Amino acid sequence: MNKVGGIHYWVINRIMSALLGGYAFTWGFSSLGIAGLAALGVDFHEAETGVLMLAFLVFLGMFLWAFASSSVARVWAVLAGGGVLMTLSAWLIQQSMLS
Amino acid sequence: MTWVHTWFGLVLGFVLMVCFFFGSLSVFDREIDRWAIPETRFDAQPMPSFDKVLLPALQQLEPDEVDYATNMPRLHDPAKGEMTPRTELPVDEYWAYVTHRDPVLAAGVGYGVPLAKNPEDHNHIHKNVTLDPRTGAVLPDDKLKIGSHWFYPMHYSLQLKWKNLGIWIVGLAALMMLAALVTGVIMHRKVFREFFTFRPWKRTQRASLDLHNLTGVVALPFHFFFAFTGLVIFASFYFLPVTSTLLDPLHKQHEIHEAAATGLPHDAAGVPGPMSSVDAMVEEAKRRWAARDMAGEVGFLVMHHVGDANSYVSIYRAGSDRVALVGEGIHFKTSTGEVLSEDPPRTPVSEVNEFLTGLHLQHFEHWFLRWLYVLGGLLGAVCIATGFIFFVEKRKSQHAKSGSNGSRVVDSLAVTTVTGMVMAAVGMLVVNRILPADLLGKADWEKAAFWTVWGLSFVHAYVRSAPVALGLFNPAWREQCWGVVVLSISAVLLNWATTGDHLIKTIFTDTYWPVAGVDLSLMACAMVSGWAALKLVRRERGVGAQSRKIEKQPKTDTSEVAHA
Repeated sequence: MNKVGGIHYWVINRIMSALLGGYAFTWGFSSLGIAGLAALGVDFHEAETGVLMLAFLVFLGMFLWAFASSSVARVWAVLAGGGVLMTLSAWLIQQSMLS
Repeated sequence: MTWVHTWFGLVLGFVLMVCFFFGSLSVFDREIDRWAIPETRFDAQPMPSFDKVLLPALQQLEPDEVDYATNMPRLHDPAKGEMTPRTELPVDEYWAYVTHRDPVLAAGVGYGVPLAKNPEDHNHIHKNVTLDPRTGAVLPDDKLKIGSHWFYPMHYSLQLKWKNLGIWIVGLAALMMLAALVTGVIMHRKVFREFFTFRPWKRTQRASLDLHNLTGVVALPFHFFFAFTGLVIFASFYFLPVTSTLLDPLHKQHEIHEAAATGLPHDAAGVPGPMSSVDAMVEEAKRRWAARDMAGEVGFLVMHHVGDANSYVSIYRAGSDRVALVGEGIHFKTSTGEVLSEDPPRTPVSEVNEFLTGLHLQHFEHWFLRWLYVLGGLLGAVCIATGFIFFVEKRKSQHAKSGSNGSRVVDSLAVTTVTGMVMAAVGMLVVNRILPADLLGKADWEKAAFWTVWGLSFVHAYVRSAPVALGLFNPAWREQCWGVVVLSISAVLLNWATTGDHLIKTIFTDTYWPVAGVDLSLMACAMVSGWAALKLVRRERGVGAQSRKIEKQPKTDTSEVAHA
């Protein structure tokens, strides 16, 4: 087993997936949440405030799921992949709202 | 889940100790300021007259030299022309803030940046001051406000300012606190029973785990709430700055709509305008609040676009009788004194957010509740500290056999972040009283004292921790407890010696609760530490006799500790 300073590689992988993947997912959730609600007519500041409060609960849930899940690959796919998809969607919504 | 709880709890636990301990002290941060700066030991005042007291004081100020040197090059566009000299920057904004907790008044000026790179942004060079509200005199800035400018920022930033690294570390620790609470509950499904289980007569490993579970469960909503709201408070600015990065264009579009809707001028007109009486505006604001059945004092006052025809004054009501910090803003046209707009009632989402953040920031006037906050914070600190103790107790015998240094290192760090941290805080107060009041750079000496005491406590803890590697107790716990006793009592005596404010005076003859409260807390701290030190002596002696017996009869006891 590969070790870095006494910690196994797969442990680091799991921790990274939880922290970095979780953050990416939370960022995507927040962006899509705010842009999506704004597109539906909700006041921008209201959307921002409400979504950011939910965001940390989402991060917490994803973080714990990352450790509970049996497959790290699945964790990376859902968290990082989902995060990228949601961020992209948010950006596209913004583009359509500005034009 | 146990693995997550143990390892993330251990590593981030050291950060969380700082957050909980200094957070508890921050409940009374302004009172600690009074203790540290005796010239400010007077009673809180309402906002003084702007026209007669504040305006003359603010007009005397100049842009801060450090702020100018740091930020002017960042904000000014050299292609548009020469950088305006510091003393010639135009005044753009005046503000003043009053709270029932603080006798002194915070005020300041925002100076505009001509020829800026982004004229759309809020380009300001600041000068912030502390004023005596009775006279308008500026209080010298080099006296460190140990409570509100050291302990309070310590708990959310660890005083690590480089790229806001400290705030990010605390943010991570807060999220891990939430994870630790959830995993902790998952690990101990018999949560209700844990409320009532504490067996201090048993050996340390069992007793510390009992206390860890008890303090975690008893104040579980409190711990969850504070970690969560701490994250929410900094969410849009630091942790998830979505609306100032990815969604910034949408954000700016909304700002323009909002400015148009409220009728408040977003930009200056570029034409000079007169300044009518702000005191008359304050009277009108108070009249309107009283008419809405919420009579109150002014908490926060801002004058935008100073000297311009578009200038307006925003006056907010102090929140001492509610959870929200300030609110019910009323905006006046500076040149005529007429009301431009009143803030509408908050929407449900804003109300929830304001309630959550307001409960965390705790600016309301309710003494009993504030002391409950301190109790909750200290319970959180006990929860984390007993976590460390349990970690070491559980592993030190096997580490002793395998020759590992792990328990020793963790135990030394635990001593440092429990007794060491208390000594650093109290030591800073002691140094504050010892050094002369008008010493130049006194603030730097106090900060140096804080870090030195803390650093020395780590060195002491590590050097004395050799017995832990043999599966025994670290004598540093007991020794540093005595250190806390000595420092706490010295602080109270030094306060008496240097200011004449002793407890008989501050409680009975010339009552002044901020200082009496700090002195009484120091005495309580001394008593608790002394009692702890005596208990530790007794336990060490007891274990010493036991370990000699155990060597003759090897015994494994895994039944009590059925955790992975």
